[in-house]
Amino acid sequence: MSATRTVLLIAEREVRQRLRSRLFVWSTLVIALLLSAAAAAPAVIGLFGTDVELPDEPVDPEPVAIAVVGGLAADEQAALEQALGPVELTVVDDVDAVAGLLEQEAISFGIVPGERVLTAATSGFLNLRSFEADRAAEALGLLAALDGDVEQVGTVLGALPLTIEELDAGDVEDEAGRFLAANIGVVFLFGVLILYASMIINGVIEEKGSRVVELLVEAVPVRWLMAGKILGLGLVGLGQVLVLFGPPVAILLVTGGEFVPTGTGGLLGALLLWFVLGYALYAVMAAGLGALVSRPEEAQAVLTPANTLMIVGYFVGFFVIQAPDTTFSRIVAVVPFSAPYAMLVRQAVGDPAWWEIGAAIGLTLLTIVGLTMLAARLYEGGILRVGARVRVRDAWRAARD
Amino acid sequence: MLELHGLHRRFGDVVALDGVDLTVEAGELCGFLGPNGAGKTTAMRCAVGVTEADAGRVTIGGRAVDLEARRRTGYMPEERGLYPRMRVHEQLVYLARLHAMSAADATASADAWIQRLGLADRRDDPVEELSLGNQQRVQLAAALVHDPTLLVLDEPFSGLDPIAVDVMSDVLRERADAGVAVVFSSHQLDLVEDLCRTVAVIAAGRVVLRGDVRALKRASDRRLRLEIDGDDAWLATLPPGVTLAGRRGEELQLVLAPEADAGAVIDAARGAGPLLGVRLEEPKLSELFREAVNGGDA
Ligand SMILES: Nc1ncnc2c1ncn2[C@@H]1O[C@H](COP(=O)(O)OP(=O)(O)OP(=O)(O)O)[C@@H](O)[C@H]1O
Ligand SMILES: [Mg+2]
Repeated sequence: MSATRTVLLIAEREVRQRLRSRLFVWSTLVIALLLSAAAAAPAVIGLFGTDVELPDEPVDPEPVAIAVVGGLAADEQAALEQALGPVELTVVDDVDAVAGLLEQEAISFGIVPGERVLTAATSGFLNLRSFEADRAAEALGLLAALDGDVEQVGTVLGALPLTIEELDAGDVEDEAGRFLAANIGVVFLFGVLILYASMIINGVIEEKGSRVVELLVEAVPVRWLMAGKILGLGLVGLGQVLVLFGPPVAILLVTGGEFVPTGTGGLLGALLLWFVLGYALYAVMAAGLGALVSRPEEAQAVLTPANTLMIVGYFVGFFVIQAPDTTFSRIVAVVPFSAPYAMLVRQAVGDPAWWEIGAAIGLTLLTIVGLTMLAARLYEGGILRVGARVRVRDAWRAARD
Repeated sequence: MLELHGLHRRFGDVVALDGVDLTVEAGELCGFLGPNGAGKTTAMRCAVGVTEADAGRVTIGGRAVDLEARRRTGYMPEERGLYPRMRVHEQLVYLARLHAMSAADATASADAWIQRLGLADRRDDPVEELSLGNQQRVQLAAALVHDPTLLVLDEPFSGLDPIAVDVMSDVLRERADAGVAVVFSSHQLDLVEDLCRTVAVIAAGRVVLRGDVRALKRASDRRLRLEIDGDDAWLATLPPGVTLAGRRGEELQLVLAPEADAGAVIDAARGAGPLLGVRLEEPKLSELFREAVNGGDA
């Protein structure tokens, strides 16, 4: 049996064991369902929203209730009617009476003729001052300026403003969508990488702890064991990602219309690419480091170096979102440990050259190869030593050449 | 079949193996004995390639231990270990396939061994739910399931009840009769004496006794116990290779070197008076063991 077939056999076992866990399967399905529901929500709400048809113009508008201190001249009333349609005037003695009526919400606003319009106090935060009071103040002001020419007032008030047209300057909507996608991408990548790194290390520790590893090592070269485990969990991870995000993304693409930024397909491709490369990068570290310990409690401590790199990469990713094409961003996007985040972000919101993407992929692949050799050696030197934590140096020396 | 040539292995300052030479032939069932810390486990780990020796060579069928050889080897580690949550049958199939068996053969073989070892009703239970003894049976099945031509078992009998001991003994004997080279370590010398034609004793990292149990016994001192109704004058003329070791009441205890003729001693004794009792005793394996180990220490 060839190396490939053995590695596949080991990977297959990992996949089977994962899929056997009901918690894993069900939680994945439930989350996928929730995400799909969230993705479908805007479209569904839109569906109900368009059903409600507003009448073109209000039939028989209610007269606007207005309090007038003292009384109102006939041309003034005519001007108000030009602006607001029918009005219902209440004559009162003073401003206090207007305040009382405003408080009871019996009137829309009050008028001190030739002087001012009175409305209820509004908070600066929520400006609820009535549109009607504005129109009334405007109409009475115009009336005075036009020497009581009510007709003219009506003409001016009825004049249509020019239409305002938004010119296509840099596609602001699209930018926003891509910005959002970059944010989600970085968070998502970080989440899965952390999750799968800990799945790897727990798998390694389980084999050490249950001592089955001595049987495995007797049958199969240690490197194959490591490769099979990483491949198997990687396939589970990829499958989980597809199940979790495939349906919601598909729903968004179909229903989202203008909300979906252009080039989303390429973005998803980039996300998948950097998931695979990022996973390989961190999984080999987790496997190598995991072989040094025997107890689950020690897992997080021994993973610290890998986790630190992962967290730094994560924050660098957010930094790059703000300024995707500066020199700093261009550098961190090709540096192996930050590349999965930073290049992903640049591909989303920046403008990386093809050779920059190529360099990022190439350097990351080289690092993966180097780390694999390193991790395989630690794995070999550490995997059979159950008990106390093995020092890196000892594991290195214990491995056969 | 399995040959260890001058194996050396140190752990820090501890010398675990100090030049171990050992050959186990096809069809041989060899007991591997030695006091605690003598190096049995280390030697067996080197034999199956789990541990690398600092110096020396391991060959199987005349070739260095390669992947092909490992696939024809069955191993039971001293520290038992299986996937706790994997089911018995599934686990055996997996281990068989890791040893390059086809899926169909692995399934059939796993079922056969499950049947043979009395695990049929636990076939689809997770290993962790089995009793320790039953887990041990699965462990044996794991060593056998891929039909190996070499079996290396580290203390396979420890922790077994008498019935399981019989099953294990039967299986090992049957495998050896089928031409498999079997070597297993044990501290149960009586059991080894019953089961094995050959033994190897290791002490302080060296093989200090090796060979056919019968031949080893014949090559060492025997004990002759005599009760005579007469005086001791005849003892003055004991044949060469015979010495008086002591007496308990009327009973004389004589030690006979391998070449000494017990018949001549008995004849001489009969001249002294009527014989009331005669007992010629071969050494037990445990005595050979003690002698070899203590000699090795000296
Ligand atoms: N991994 C290890 N690290 C350090 N020392 C070890 C290791 N393995 C074995 N030794 C030492 O090597 C020597 C031989 O040990 P080994 O386990 O081979 O003995 P053994 O004959 O199997 O003993 P037992 O009958 O108790 O199982 C012992 O002194 C032991 O302490
Ligand atoms: Mg031992």
